[in-house]
Amino acid sequence: MSIGCRNLVVTAGRRELLAVPALDVTAGETVAVLGPNGAGKSTLLRALAMVGGGQLRGEIRLDGRPAGTAALRAAVAAVLQRPILQRATVLDNVAAGLRLRGVRRSAARGRAHPWLAALGITQLADRDARTLSGGEAQRVAIARALAVAPRVLLLDEPLTGLDATTRADLLADLRSVLQQLGAAVLIVTHDRDEARALAQRTVLLINGRIRQIGSTPTVLDAPADLDCAALLGYTTRLPPALTGHPTMLVARPERCRLLGPTAADPPAALVVPGTLRRVVPLGGTTRVDIDTSAQPVSVLTTAEVNEVAGARVRLAVDVDDVRECPPGPGASAVGDCGTPDREEPAAAGGPGCAEGRPRSRGRPTRRHLR
Amino acid sequence: MLVDGLVEAVRLLLTGDQDTWSITGLTLRVSLTATAGALLLGVPLGTGLALGRFRGRRVLLAAANTGMGMPPVVVGLFVTVLLWRSGPLGALGLLYTPTAMMIAQAAIATPVVTALTAAAMQQVDPDFLVQMRALGATRLRALLALLAEARLPLLAAGLAGFGAVVSEVGAAQMVGGNLAGETRVLTTAAVLATGRGQFALAIAFGLVLLVIAFAVNLAITLAQQRATVRQPR
Amino acid sequence: MRRPIVAVIAFVGVLLAGCGTAGAPAAGPSTERSLILATTTSTQDSGLLDELLPAFSRDTGWQVKTLAVGSGQAIELGRRGEADALLVHSPAAETTFVAEGTAGQRRLVMHNDFVLVGPAADPAGVRGSGSVEALQKIAAAGAVFVSRGDGSGTNAKEKDLWAKAALAPSGGWYQATGQGMGATLQVASEKAGYTLSDRATFLAQRDNLALEVLSEGDPGLLNVYHVIEMTTRAGDRVQPDGARAFSDWIVSPSAQQQIGRFGVDRYGQPLFTPDAGKEESALGR
Repeated sequence: MSIGCRNLVVTAGRRELLAVPALDVTAGETVAVLGPNGAGKSTLLRALAMVGGGQLRGEIRLDGRPAGTAALRAAVAAVLQRPILQRATVLDNVAAGLRLRGVRRSAARGRAHPWLAALGITQLADRDARTLSGGEAQRVAIARALAVAPRVLLLDEPLTGLDATTRADLLADLRSVLQQLGAAVLIVTHDRDEARALAQRTVLLINGRIRQIGSTPTVLDAPADLDCAALLGYTTRLPPALTGHPTMLVARPERCRLLGPTAADPPAALVVPGTLRRVVPLGGTTRVDIDTSAQPVSVLTTAEVNEVAGARVRLAVDVDDVRECPPGPGASAVGDCGTPDREEPAAAGGPGCAEGRPRSRGRPTRRHLR
Repeated sequence: MLVDGLVEAVRLLLTGDQDTWSITGLTLRVSLTATAGALLLGVPLGTGLALGRFRGRRVLLAAANTGMGMPPVVVGLFVTVLLWRSGPLGALGLLYTPTAMMIAQAAIATPVVTALTAAAMQQVDPDFLVQMRALGATRLRALLALLAEARLPLLAAGLAGFGAVVSEVGAAQMVGGNLAGETRVLTTAAVLATGRGQFALAIAFGLVLLVIAFAVNLAITLAQQRATVRQPR
Repeated sequence: MRRPIVAVIAFVGVLLAGCGTAGAPAAGPSTERSLILATTTSTQDSGLLDELLPAFSRDTGWQVKTLAVGSGQAIELGRRGEADALLVHSPAAETTFVAEGTAGQRRLVMHNDFVLVGPAADPAGVRGSGSVEALQKIAAAGAVFVSRGDGSGTNAKEKDLWAKAALAPSGGWYQATGQGMGATLQVASEKAGYTLSDRATFLAQRDNLALEVLSEGDPGLLNVYHVIEMTTRAGDRVQPDGARAFSDWIVSPSAQQQIGRFGVDRYGQPLFTPDAGKEESALGR
């Protein structure tokens, strides 16, 4: 079963929280919704499940047809951000979703059991749910949603707030569970790696609007505009004044290198001069902030930094790692690639959408630089 | 004198003195029924106050909290004025009957139950209902799950309401008239016995009341202890 | 959660089961006929009504709801139609009330007398004095005097006596309890003070009190009880037939006999003297 929306607008009082003209998630596909805090990701998730607050206008569709609350209630299971468990054992909590749908207690417990194994929490079955750690509680909440065998699964930041090890474990388990599930899955997250690991397609949601949508590798690799770029980690900005390029260029700080005054310009790279402002050790990497004639830029490097503040340095980044970016919300960011049936076949040889068009927002070729 | 009274009290109770036991039975009947009524009214009211978002919500919550401190005598007076022959409900002929006492005591207990229910509901995660619905529950099932989740504080609310009414004398006296065999409960009987100088009897009634009050408070304490989370890790 | 809660509920259930069978009162308005009798705390506290009323119910089929309040409050209830019959002992107030027009027949029922009681030590030296003289001595000595202060028949009699003594009592020694006779007697006993009480209540509570009768027998201490029937002029819901039934019964020979015998077994003397049918002026010892 697929889920989607048309002309969805969610308002709270006079404030518009979300405006999505069209979005679809097909059965068996996982879509990640990526966005900064306050972008409206949770609002979108709750609207799709029709459990949100605020006034909702527009249509929610199941299998292409408009669906009412009852149909959505039956087909959809959503897991909210903080795991909200009941005063009961873990097994009873996992069975709770089924019981809320009218399944008798013993049958519900029976159907819940396999999902404990799937999420690796069988040994916790008789534990009081209030005594669980964050990661364990999250697994219980996910198992609870999966136990009702939903045809649509909505997960709100399932891995947020967990320590690195727990996160990695749960990510792996979640990935394998979702693969076997066959449902339409929408995951809200603010972490790129989660999107990359779990989702085939990714939506970038900023300020309540979809700015970019496409296959995950494409979207993460080719931001449509500056806001998307910032969201995706392209925080080193190289304006036209610095580079001579007609549009703004962005790069990831970790792909940038610091050049001393005497080093030669590397081939096939963009080089920008500036003054070193400060060096910040961050554990495994070092961040170097450089003042340029235009605006400050940053470099994240694992190499040793010998230069000191005030030194004349240069930033170098391979041309392949630079992306072109128009300033505001891209005029054709939404609607171009919103639905799978309209996606360009990947015949143009490059990943995702908008590749190969005259007004390409993809990589600038080497011809354009210098 | 006190010791004599205690001895007499125990004797009366153990020999199954008819009057004492029937008075106790009436006390429990009236107060339990009143508490049941207060729960029926107060739990939905308290839940609505806790979860609702409407204008005047905070005013109503303050009113409920004020109602908790309302002297039972005042409530008894209001109910009497309603029920006496020249009053609006006089045709029902309910004054000086156990039913009238149940009404008055329910009026006393309802603010208690309402305020404590609202407090209990506000302890539950505000997204609880949303998550239940997101798992496929109907509005009704989600509400029932919420009540089940807050069952221990709700029990405490009911017990507190019961405790408030079983031990009050002002409303019971005014609305019931302390009629022998009909509307005499432990509190009014104790006051009457004291007024007549029958101290042993008064102490006996007092003892029974103490036992009931203790049992109620013990139950409240146990319920609240179980409500607090013990973290073994 | 299980065990303690179950134990409590089981306890309550057993109590209810046990007590429920021990006399099940009607929960709502009586299906039998029931009338409201407003009377004084002294008639209630003496125990007279506990003996008389069951006989009345047996003989007439009328159930009685007895509200034991002070005579003043009883008259007020009658005035508003909230009571069907009054059995009170405040003659001056009663006469005024009957003159208002809402009441029906008023008949003499019985009398007993008031007594002035006080501590055995008798600091004001009132033993053996007449009632008015005793009050004058108490006021002069500034000895503690405890008054009902509640508009009851006893209170009315007390005020009447102060008036006859040409005194308006006030000051720390004159204390009003606002409560019934039993409670007032106990306060007087605790404070070793004087008070005016009807003989019946005093006798009933004598063993608990550190008080003695210090002045009695004075004609001014006569305590006369009347029964007043209410009519629908006072209120739509008044039951004049019930009032008539009670009034007729309490002046009937059998009831009057019972009244005359009341208290003899316990106290060696009757607490009340039946007077139905007599002329009021003929009363007195």
